[in-house]
Amino acid sequence: MIVGFGHITYGQTYNNFETDSVTAPEPFKPSKTQFMIRGYGHTGLNFMNTEGEKESSYVGSAFAPIFLFKHSDRLMFEAELEFGLENNELEVGLEYADVMYILNKNMTVRAGKFLLPFGTFMERLHPAWINRLPTRPLGFGHDGIAPASGIGVELRGAFDLGGPKLNYAVYSTNGPRLKDGSVEPEEAGMLMFQNFEDNNNSKAFGGRIGLLPFADSSTEIGFSSYSTSKVGTTDSEYENVGVFLYAIDFAFIKQIPAISGFIDIKGQYNNSDIDDATYTEVHEDGDEEEYTFDNKSNSFYAQLSYRPTMASSDFMKKLELVGRYSNLNTPEGAEWEERSDQYAFSLNYWLTWRSVIKVAYQTTDSVGGHDGGGTANGFFIHWAIGF
Amino acid sequence: MKTIHKILVVAVVIFTTGGMIVGCSSTKNAYTAATDVQDEFKIEKSGAQMWGEACNRCHLAPSPADYNDTDWSTIALHMRVRANLAENEIAKIETFLKSAN
Repeated sequence: MIVGFGHITYGQTYNNFETDSVTAPEPFKPSKTQFMIRGYGHTGLNFMNTEGEKESSYVGSAFAPIFLFKHSDRLMFEAELEFGLENNELEVGLEYADVMYILNKNMTVRAGKFLLPFGTFMERLHPAWINRLPTRPLGFGHDGIAPASGIGVELRGAFDLGGPKLNYAVYSTNGPRLKDGSVEPEEAGMLMFQNFEDNNNSKAFGGRIGLLPFADSSTEIGFSSYSTSKVGTTDSEYENVGVFLYAIDFAFIKQIPAISGFIDIKGQYNNSDIDDATYTEVHEDGDEEEYTFDNKSNSFYAQLSYRPTMASSDFMKKLELVGRYSNLNTPEGAEWEERSDQYAFSLNYWLTWRSVIKVAYQTTDSVGGHDGGGTANGFFIHWAIGF
Repeated sequence: MKTIHKILVVAVVIFTTGGMIVGCSSTKNAYTAATDVQDEFKIEKSGAQMWGEACNRCHLAPSPADYNDTDWSTIALHMRVRANLAENEIAKIETFLKSAN
């Protein structure tokens, strides 16, 4: 003991903190070049009842990492991958991959595959942790009439008008290609927006103008259009089929003390007009029949949500009530003719600002469409997280 | 359809050209040379206020503490383009997030 304490006590008597050369730590110097992974994922349980046919399934975890590479204060590369489990298979998709450069305070140029500013839902609101419901409105996604992304070049920016704000985007992309029915006869006349290698020399042009008329930025009204003079393959009989699409979107988000919380209203109307063309239907006996139809479609959704953020209870503050109506009308006379109305309701609980549990009910009434129409009811419990 | 497409193409070209001229005409902020009197009466939103307004337009406003300063720089550049925010708006939001994390 004596030897031990003696050793400790006298062991370092030479150490003088006042005279020691202590190197001051250098302040942290972040580099201008930065790499970051963000993204989102979700999982859940679905119960479906389609015309009395019941099914339930845990739905696989969708994982969507977003890669951000900040090359400098003006230059950035961004990409999003999507991993999902569908039809017992792993599906991988490249949601977007583009390079962007800030030209000046009002202009940014983007090139590559980017989300199209056709309305606001697909560009801003579709990620699972942002979308207040576990499903998308009718008209978006698979077999939807609104484009989600495109390969091309875009110029965008925003102006502060001293209170009101104006934002714009104009772009040129490969544009969609027309399904002529040779592969999927039941989809003849539909547009396929995944046109990675252009099937003709005509490019699509489009844009969106958004106006936030009030100084509190609570309201935004947007108008989008998208057009191309050719969607058919070069030298095919459908080469000169043209397309004009437009969308009108609306948003109102504001905390209103009188109702002790946030009210969030969103809506979008999509309209698609494709030049008429003649398609061929092959009957079971081998006979061929030509047919045409007025190729016009439209869809609409309106969504209302309420969060009692000013409630006295912490539990209540994290709740959110959501209701959505959506509707889809596809051309009369087409093989994919459909009239659908959908109502969806959800009770959400926000664990954090980027993690939400959704308990939702949805009912869809359809006439026509892939499944032949009828009533489909669904109950969903989903958990989504952004990171 | 051809006519509509031509009109749209012309509109895109005019808009792009006009935007280029306006956007590139000056990179200076015209409001920086305000006089003392103007400064006294100028009412500007804080970064915190803009953070509450801009972020909530799509998703719940993020907690400043969830990322460090360098991460916020990257996220700010990403969100400026994704949400099409004005330069002064995102600059103030970024400053607020870095000061409050």
